[in-house]
Amino acid sequence: MKQKKRINMAFYVMTVPMAVLFFCFHTFPFLQGVFYSFTDWKGYGNWKFVGLRNYLHIFQDKNVISAYLFTFQFAICATILVNVLSLLLACALNAKIKCKNFLKAVFFLPYMLGTLIISYVFKYIFSNIIPLFGKALGIAALSKNILGTNHAWIGVLVVTVWQSMAFNTLIYLSGLQTVDRDLYEAAALDGATGMKRFFKITFPLIAPFFTINMVLSGKNFLMAFDQFIAMTNGGPGTATTTISVLIYKKGFSGGQFAYQSANAVLLFIVVVLISVFQLRVLERREEKVN
Amino acid sequence: MMKGKKFLALTLIATMTGSMLAGCGDSSGSSGSTGSTGGTETASKEDGGSGEVELELFSTKTENADILQEMIDGFMEENPNIKITLTSEADAGTVLKTRLTKNDIPELIAMGGDSNYTELQSAGVLLDLSGEDFISEVQEAYLDMLYDVNVDKEQTAYGVPYATNASGVLYNEDLFAQAGVEVPKTWSEFQDVVTKLQDAGITPFELTFADSWTCLPPWNSMAPVIPDANFTDERKAGNTTFTGTHEEILEKYLWLLDYAQEDFMGTTYTDGNAAFANGSAAMMINGNWAISEFLNTNPDMNVNMFAFPSVDDESKNTVTSGVDVLLAVSNQGTEEQQEAAKEFIRYALKPEVAQSYIDDQFAFSAVNGVEQTNETVSGVSKDIANGKVSNFPDHYYPNGFDLSTILQQFALNKVNGMDDAQNIEETLTSCDEQYDAANVE
Repeated sequence: MKQKKRINMAFYVMTVPMAVLFFCFHTFPFLQGVFYSFTDWKGYGNWKFVGLRNYLHIFQDKNVISAYLFTFQFAICATILVNVLSLLLACALNAKIKCKNFLKAVFFLPYMLGTLIISYVFKYIFSNIIPLFGKALGIAALSKNILGTNHAWIGVLVVTVWQSMAFNTLIYLSGLQTVDRDLYEAAALDGATGMKRFFKITFPLIAPFFTINMVLSGKNFLMAFDQFIAMTNGGPGTATTTISVLIYKKGFSGGQFAYQSANAVLLFIVVVLISVFQLRVLERREEKVN
Repeated sequence: MMKGKKFLALTLIATMTGSMLAGCGDSSGSSGSTGSTGGTETASKEDGGSGEVELELFSTKTENADILQEMIDGFMEENPNIKITLTSEADAGTVLKTRLTKNDIPELIAMGGDSNYTELQSAGVLLDLSGEDFISEVQEAYLDMLYDVNVDKEQTAYGVPYATNASGVLYNEDLFAQAGVEVPKTWSEFQDVVTKLQDAGITPFELTFADSWTCLPPWNSMAPVIPDANFTDERKAGNTTFTGTHEEILEKYLWLLDYAQEDFMGTTYTDGNAAFANGSAAMMINGNWAISEFLNTNPDMNVNMFAFPSVDDESKNTVTSGVDVLLAVSNQGTEEQQEAAKEFIRYALKPEVAQSYIDDQFAFSAVNGVEQTNETVSGVSKDIANGKVSNFPDHYYPNGFDLSTILQQFALNKVNGMDDAQNIEETLTSCDEQYDAANVE
């Protein structure tokens, strides 16, 4: 028999309290939410089990379907834009340029501010400052408050991309710093420079970072909430109602607590499935290029 | 290596995704523990002072925070053993419901006589005040309005109507004089006034549809007048639909939009109020609660109100007036707290206190004999005194029925150039669908 290795108690002391806290404040409420999704609870008062009624109703609910469609549209655009722009930014910041640290700080600043604060500031900019410039310059598209038009989501998208870029840039930067400089020298000797160097050397080497960025931002944008509540409150009409906004508005103000819990469980499943799918596809690609 | 990373990523996702559900679940989490005991938190609060009773007054209106605080200060001077703290925050209706899920009900609640009240009343957390001596101080008409929104129209006062409001047309007297027009009494006169204003180079309406709730006032003014009087009951029973009864309202609504300022969809309530106070337009379709906002921006503004002239039969047009603030007591507090809360209501109903409240708010009082004499609302105070009022129709709609969003979409469709007939048809269909979705017990 193999001799059993003694595990230091310290490891348990470090992990167990966290696990307990996590379970109490996170997993348990989550399970409660799942539980209530099978009831007709309004958030208070009496309730009874209704089986799968809530879940079946979701698929016939126009509000939910249009919220899902909008959320996907928003998440896809935001994920692509954020990753392309932050990769560009990271490459630029990784080059030997002046004031590098100062610029890094500038680009990281939006991440330090709360999404709500940023959103309220931009709400003001969109409704008061931009129309002023638009009128002065005679540009029709800019002389209206974009948040009051069909294109309200573009306004929110711009703000979201601007803020989210900070964190993704940081991850890409740390990725770029893991790339061995010698490789670039060797590549230069073989005649790979510029775009070629980026696509043949740099990008494959930072592929794992690309994967994690794609997955995390995809997940974040599928659950977008703060910026919409602050800037449009899901409007005008229901034009910018994401799933999270719908869950909040209908679940709390609308007295549909149990039904929207079911919706939240569905969203959880959808996000996990998409993330697993992303990981599978992107990792297969990683393995291929490596 | 690959395994480890995948595990890490998956855990991250699971954690972060879960946090959102936890947000919803968290509030329900504590209901299990405090569910039956209710007042545990408040009970411990009292241990602090020596024989002192502590109360929380929760207000769902941010506009009246200052005057409520003044009333509380006055009350506490007279009753040094009672301590009241005021909670007044944005989106208070939602906050209140969230607290309801946690069974953390404030001891004293100042709220509107709307669906929020119905929810609390139906949840059985409000104290029956019918037997109290002070109920006789309040106008019957407003008590009736409150009975109407009780579940099953129970004739019991679970709250005391305190202040009432008026919704209609706010107008700038100077701009009316400049264009040489008089206050219209019928829909035709109204149309006439609007075109004359337009011809005089004055924008007729300032609308603030970036905030969806401001899409409601025109509807609220017309809906009690144009369809049959018993529409709300019949609709609830499923005997009628919005389609076929509300077309005229939406036609008139669309007509109004033609005369609004540019970019009314992108104007917020705050910005619109400031612009209107500075004479950007002649009229605003909203309520008396906005007047104090105008006067903050421009103290010299000559503003007044008139009843929205929905139809040509002058006798039918009414001011939309509802219970804007009612005072209710939670039955979850201790005996002492309930008594102290009643004491506060008794204080608030004193004529001089009620008068100072309505003077500050440009509101109307539900207390017998307390009259609003301010010039800025003189155009409607006569109608209100004569009972030419109807309650807000949306107080009778189910809570989950989000009409403001539907109307905001309706206005957006118009801006996008959708055909009017199609827009009206789609909007009313959507009203019926959303109503039915929300009208489940």
